[in-house]
Formats: sequence, structure tokens, C-alpha cells
Amino acid sequence: MKQILFFISLLIFIGCQKEKITISSNASEAFYVENAGASMRVLVQGNTASSTFILVIHGGPGISSYFYDTKYISKNLGDKFAMVYWDQRNAGASQGTSNGGELHLDQMVEDLKKVIEVLKYRYGQNMSLFLLGHSFGSLIAADFITTVDYQNMIKGFINVDGSHNYPLNDTLTREALLKEGNYQVSQNKNVEKWLPIISYCNSHTGNFSIEESQQLGSYASEAENYVDSINHINIVTQVLKYSITNKYPVTAILSNLLYSEDSNFNKEIAIKQFSSSLNIVTIPVLLLWGKYDFTCPPDLGKDFYNHISSIDKRFVLSPQSGHNLILEDKKIFCNEVASFVLTHR
Amino acid sequence: MLKSIISILALSYCTLCLAQSDSINDSSSRHINLKLAYISSLIYPGITTGIEFPLYHINEKVLKNQKIVRYFTKGRFVSGNLNWYHHPDFHDNLYLTAEWVMRRTKFSGFISEFSAGAGFSRTFLGGTTYKVDENGNISVIKLAGYNYALITIGGGFGYDFSMKKQLPLSAFAKMNLITMFPYNSTIYFRPVLELGIRYSPGIFRSKTIKESVYPSKPK
Repeated sequence: MKQILFFISLLIFIGCQKEKITISSNASEAFYVENAGASMRVLVQGNTASSTFILVIHGGPGISSYFYDTKYISKNLGDKFAMVYWDQRNAGASQGTSNGGELHLDQMVEDLKKVIEVLKYRYGQNMSLFLLGHSFGSLIAADFITTVDYQNMIKGFINVDGSHNYPLNDTLTREALLKEGNYQVSQNKNVEKWLPIISYCNSHTGNFSIEESQQLGSYASEAENYVDSINHINIVTQVLKYSITNKYPVTAILSNLLYSEDSNFNKEIAIKQFSSSLNIVTIPVLLLWGKYDFTCPPDLGKDFYNHISSIDKRFVLSPQSGHNLILEDKKIFCNEVASFVLTHR
Repeated sequence: MLKSIISILALSYCTLCLAQSDSINDSSSRHINLKLAYISSLIYPGITTGIEFPLYHINEKVLKNQKIVRYFTKGRFVSGNLNWYHHPDFHDNLYLTAEWVMRRTKFSGFISEFSAGAGFSRTFLGGTTYKVDENGNISVIKLAGYNYALITIGGGFGYDFSMKKQLPLSAFAKMNLITMFPYNSTIYFRPVLELGIRYSPGIFRSKTIKESVYPSKPK
């Protein structure tokens, strides 16, 4: 009995892992890329027939690409291009065993390179590929495009509320919190909420330790709740909305997030900066920023903009967004991305 | 002083003895069970099949004023199970478990149970898996997936049809929590709901035989 069941199951598994490549205007397929102890999930959705792919590099570390796959994006970008959602190692649906030792930035850049190679192997070497980094994802992207000639593998880079320089990021977060905090207090808005944030920023002025950096990050997220101009999105509602339809492995996402948040990897990235090497970047770049992003303030985007050598570069500021412009100003996001990709593909 | 303590203890004992229990180790009820169940986490389906071997079985009567006020059986089993679930785009998981099961069946047929066990899991990734070598050559990994150690605990309830009707079957619902490790250097956990039936092929065959009467114990 058990043997029969085993063989039936084996047939099902072989069926699930059979190579399936769909070239259509409405594709949806997942595959995995195995590298250095991690099998990373890649979901391709949308118009693969367009031969134009946008590879989303999610934030974190440890957040999942599942959260970027929304109905609005499918409808407004997925109809024209193929959206590629890559779960980084130790994130989302990516799987492995004792692979925590491989969780570092250089490894993630190598992972990204291999994901791109597999994408091209599946959908054609002549595809037009764009990277879209959000938050921590832009640190991986910044490392990638400043590594030897890797930028030649892509047609352009879209940086959304991203961080390419963590030490500068902390300084700018502190400044942005002080500026907005003092303004809100002067307007007598949420005074009791802002005062502890202002006080913390006044007493921590620079050379931030990892704990101070994390505290600033925590205040940066919290502060967005006290700005009325932001089009606030309830992330929990968003997750509940898509967890069934998008087949979230909820507990895996949670385990990976908790592990990544607490790992030594955060100490490594806390001192990473790519401002000094961005001058080698010549590909077209689109920068999309939330005006009230305290986590990665707009001045960080301007630093990126000023350091790259790209002739074709554009900086767009959304007046109704914080750190999650992709969800908070989805119209600007989709319009700008579509226009940029159509121009440069 | 000592007298007072003894008096109090004697009084307490008499009060407790209003209810008495009679335990009989009923080997006629010691039989293997075969299990088949549907398992699921939210909407992700699976199946489990297993066999249970009895360790011991006690029929327990609770008496009050010489009348039976409660009657139930306590069973302890070891079970072996083969389980599988399918989570699209994530993985298929085939896992073997050995469990220790505590089960209590009331005279009415109502079952409550608890189990704990360990096992081995083999996952199969939910999509074609590629490997890129140093030179950029790409190959497909066949039956890609991982081996994990697994621990499971669970609890549930059900109904034993053999208590009131002549059916060697019971139906049950059980919630299990499986944890797999090392999963990305941490632990993966997954709640699994089990809905199934248990068949006891030997339940009416054995008419024996040996009964052990345990000393009455206070309740």
C-alpha cells in the first residue's frame, strides 16, 4: 500500500518539476534557482511574449517578493511586460537546510547573476531585462551594477525608495525625522508621538551603532503613521487579501523573516556603501521616491542620482508616499515604470 | 497533633472515595488500527495513511454510590504514518512519522486524543530547479528538494462507532503542528488539519481473555 502511494507521489513530484516555459501575454509560472545551499523561488508573471522582463529585488533582508505581486501591478505592468518576482535566499519561499553561513551580500549578487542567466536561458538571450530594487533590494542592485561589467546584462535600473549607502542612510534618516518632527510639532500635530523621536535624534548625532541604526529604522517606520499626507496602506489587510490567491507559504515567510532580521548579516550591510563606485554606472536609471520616506529618505535617492554617470536618468518624487511608494502611489509607480521601460527596452 | 492530621486525612480520603474507579486492562480491545485521512493547511491538500499498534488499553469505570457514573477507555498506541501534502509553487512534502498516541474514548463514543512524534521529511520543490555552474552552463536538477528532521505534536477529537454500533470504525478531526529543521538555518512550522477515518480490523475478532483488575483508586 505504502509503496503504491510512494510511486504515485513520485509521479506527481516529477510532474510538478517538469520544465514548463510559457511564451504568452498572460503567463504565470514558478521555477527555482539553486545556488550555494539555497533554492530560490522565481515567479514569472505577465506578458512573456513581450520579451521585456522586470526583475523585482525585494526589500528586507528577509521580506518576500510575494508582497510586490498585486492585482494592480499585474493589470498595469504585467499586461505589457513580464514581472519577475525573485525570493532572495533565506526569504519568502526560498528553501534550504543549514545555509545561514552563505547569507552575505557578495553571495546575493552572485545569486542575482545566476537568476538572470536562468531567465535568459528560459526566455531568450535577446530579452530586454530591467532591475527594480526596493529598499534593501537596491543595495543588492547597487552592488550588482557596480561589479565589473554586470550592468551590461540589463537595459536599465529602477530604484524605488532604495538604499545604496547604509551609513549615509542613517544620517539622512535622522535628519529627515528631525525636520518633519519639528514641523509637525510646530503645527501641533501628534506632538506626544513626535517628541520621543525628536529627543532620540537629538541625543544620537552620528557614528551610529547597529542598535542605534535599528532604532532609527524603527522610528522611521513609526513616523510615517503620523504624517497625514501619506496614502496609508494597511499591510496586514494587503497580506490577508493575497495570501490565499497568491499561495503564500505564510509560515515559511515568517520563519525566514525572523531569521534574517536577527542574523549577523545585518552587521555586514550596516557599513556597506556604493556611492563611491556608482560613477561606473552608465545604464539608464529611474529613481522613484516617497516624499515622506524616512526609512530611505529622498536625499539618498539624490545621492544615487548625483553619483551615477548615466546620461539618461530621472528622479520622481511622490507627494503621497512614504517608504512603500509601490503600494501607496501605485498609479505614479506603474506609469513611470511603464514609460521608462518602453523607452529603453 | 498527629491524631488531628490523621483524622483530617481520613476525612478527606472518605470524601474523595465517594467516587471510585475500577480499571480493567481489557486485552480484547487491543487491536491494530489502520488510518486514512485527508490533511490540509488552509487550502493546500494532502493525504495521510498509517497504522497504530496498541501498547495498552484500560477500561475505566468511575463509581459513585455503587453506580457507574462514567465509563471510558484509555488507550496508548505507537503509530507509523506516511504523509504527503501539496503546496503549489512552494513544495510537495512527503514525510514519515512515528508517533506516540494517547486516546480516551467515552462510553458514548466520543474520542479525545493527543499525539507526539518524530520523523523524516523529504520535500520536492514546486517548480523546475536550475543550477548554473562556474562557466555559466545551466542544468536542471531532477527531483530537487531537501531532507529535514521533523517533529510533530497534535490533538483532536472524534467518534468511535464501535461503542454503540457494531462498526469497527472511528472518524476523527485532529490538528497537528509539524516542525521541520534545519530549514534555512531555522525552523519551518506548519499547522496541518487532519480529517479521517480509522478502521480496526481486529476489533470484534478477539474475544479474549485476560483481564487485569487494578486496585480501586480515589478520584
